[in-house]
Amino acid sequence: MNSISANLTIVFLLLTPLVGGILVTVFRKKRIIEIVTICSASLILIQVFFILYAIINEKTLSAFGNAFYIDSFGAVILLPISIVGFVSVLYSKNYMGRQYDIGLVDDKHIVRYYQGLSIFLLSMLIVPITNNLGVMWVTVEATTLISVLLIMLYFKENAIEAAWKYLIIATVGLSFALIGTVFFYYANISAGSSEDAMNWTGMVHNSKLFDPNLVKIAFVFILVGYGTKAGLAPMHTWLPDAHSEAPTPVSALLSGVLLNCALYGIIRFHIVSSGTLGPAFSNQLLIILAVVSIGIAAASIYFQKDMKRMLAYSSVEHMGIVSLGIGFGGMFGIYGALLQIINHAIAKPLMFFASGTVSQKYETKVMSKIKGIIKVMPITGALFLIGGFALVGMPPFNIFLSEFLVLSSGFQSGQFLVTMIVISFLVITFAVFLRHLIKMTFGNPVLEMKKDDMGNLAIIPMIILATLVIIFGFYIPEQLQTLLHNASSIINGGSIT
Amino acid sequence: MGMIQFDVLTISGAILLIATFGVIARRGFMDWLNAYRLQSIVLAVVTAIIGYVTGIWEIYIAAGLTFVIKSLVIPKVLTHVTKSLEIESKTDFNPYLSLRASIIVSAFLVTMSYFLSQQIPFKSDPVVNVFLPVSMAQFFLGLFALVNRRTALSQVVGLLVIENGLFLFTLVLTHGVSLIIEVGIFADILVGIVISSILLFRMSRTFDSLDVDRLENLRDD
Repeated sequence: MNSISANLTIVFLLLTPLVGGILVTVFRKKRIIEIVTICSASLILIQVFFILYAIINEKTLSAFGNAFYIDSFGAVILLPISIVGFVSVLYSKNYMGRQYDIGLVDDKHIVRYYQGLSIFLLSMLIVPITNNLGVMWVTVEATTLISVLLIMLYFKENAIEAAWKYLIIATVGLSFALIGTVFFYYANISAGSSEDAMNWTGMVHNSKLFDPNLVKIAFVFILVGYGTKAGLAPMHTWLPDAHSEAPTPVSALLSGVLLNCALYGIIRFHIVSSGTLGPAFSNQLLIILAVVSIGIAAASIYFQKDMKRMLAYSSVEHMGIVSLGIGFGGMFGIYGALLQIINHAIAKPLMFFASGTVSQKYETKVMSKIKGIIKVMPITGALFLIGGFALVGMPPFNIFLSEFLVLSSGFQSGQFLVTMIVISFLVITFAVFLRHLIKMTFGNPVLEMKKDDMGNLAIIPMIILATLVIIFGFYIPEQLQTLLHNASSIINGGSIT
Repeated sequence: MGMIQFDVLTISGAILLIATFGVIARRGFMDWLNAYRLQSIVLAVVTAIIGYVTGIWEIYIAAGLTFVIKSLVIPKVLTHVTKSLEIESKTDFNPYLSLRASIIVSAFLVTMSYFLSQQIPFKSDPVVNVFLPVSMAQFFLGLFALVNRRTALSQVVGLLVIENGLFLFTLVLTHGVSLIIEVGIFADILVGIVISSILLFRMSRTFDSLDVDRLENLRDD
């Protein structure tokens, strides 16, 4: 692709959500802004597919003199942003419409919600396409601020508490990431780089010359910083609050996409640090955080009473599995980890949407009060089961495949003890999650309720996701395989060159 | 690099450190805010001095932005917020550690910053030598203030001190090459302050208090 069309591609991709947000501000009519946002989200989806196609053919795409740089790894992150963005906007129409009808939100809130959603999408889109690691930090920080605004949309005690904790913990956490980024920059300058020393491409190129001690300190700061935002334990404490108190479509975006963006930051620096130190150092740290995350998630899911909090802890678990795959390394582990990113980004929003609809119907999020979903809402109930089965990693659904790859790479790399510990945690999560799921889905509802699936627009996004969950369990399209393969060799390549 | 310049650097670094201590050693919120304003003015001057020493003109812009945003706009916004909050929510609780203990902890943190910055392999450069430990001390003191204070308002000031430390840290190590990032940080801080002000309003209305110990509904039992 020549440079002009590459520039235009980036400009259009970033303008779409921006113009969407501006149009929402101009029109302010509920009906119109819903249509505008759905249009902009579908445009983003189309453009991302176009970019993916270009990346598969040409491997990289850089624009504005290397200020923007998309490679296969960036594309792997871009894909879930566009898909989950699209289905969340679709689901929002029904979900927020219902909140509007029962008087929980008014016109002003709706406008603010859709503005926030557009800007949220915009800032997340910048993360995987910018080459400048400083800009990446600024946009990740921006996602925090915007998502805080979206969480505190409701004037509820819990929402305010969650938003405050999230704001403070994520901001402080990310300040560590900035320190790490500056350390890497300084290492790059000291190694003799002059132009654009903040650019990732330049850093990878120079990484062999970096001062090893400086890189060690820098990577620890990065891991703490972006790890906080990625929900890796023990820095995950804000996550269950924020994810469970946000409006459901926002929860889906937070869990399915935003966590990936933060992990993306860690992995980018992991590649640089592997170039200097070899992969062993960062791999070890990633594995430790991963095991702690999976363990804490298992314990928290065991004692959980709240449906959305359980899903939030399951995100901690899955981010742990992704880090584990990266930490085990090797083509298998990394491929599995990247596949896990995509699979989780499909299954978790499905589950959030289903549980959002369920909690609107039952007017509670407490699991013991929810019974007989399949009788009250047959379609939602079935989708709820599919999402749940996928999340615990039951075959033949999609997450089984990626978890299997990650765990087998653990055995391959000779980390038997770690892998056995993780498997035992996963078995606990599997059993407990499934018990909660089955108790909620079957049985008789406590109260007499009208049989109703809460409207087509609530169902369609879930059906799209459920279809993907099932398809990806059997078959991964060849193009996606190529993409994942190229992305894995980028991450692995950092350790070879 | 003349001896006089080095002296100017050392003295301004020392003043900045003292100004940071001012934020730790005060009790009431308005005193805090004044200490923060003072610290920001010193920071702007320090930034200008670094600009002069390194001869990079972009740093003067950063100094100007620091002065306008941190010593004028942010204190004004926060004063406005406190005035419109209900009075009972303004009562400041004692910090978890007494002031005397806080000063001791802070002194320890400053020592630690100097120790840490000696461990990290940096090229010898007077700007880095003088200001890197100061910026790290600011960062740690801000963190300490954040966890030591009980009200949400004072947590905001802790966050601001952390951010001042980060700003100086970035400036010292990158020499203001990446102005776009610094502008990004400023924008983040401004938006962050606006958002936390809205949150503070809501908190004082729904909880009748800004005591963060009251924020304990969301727990796993």
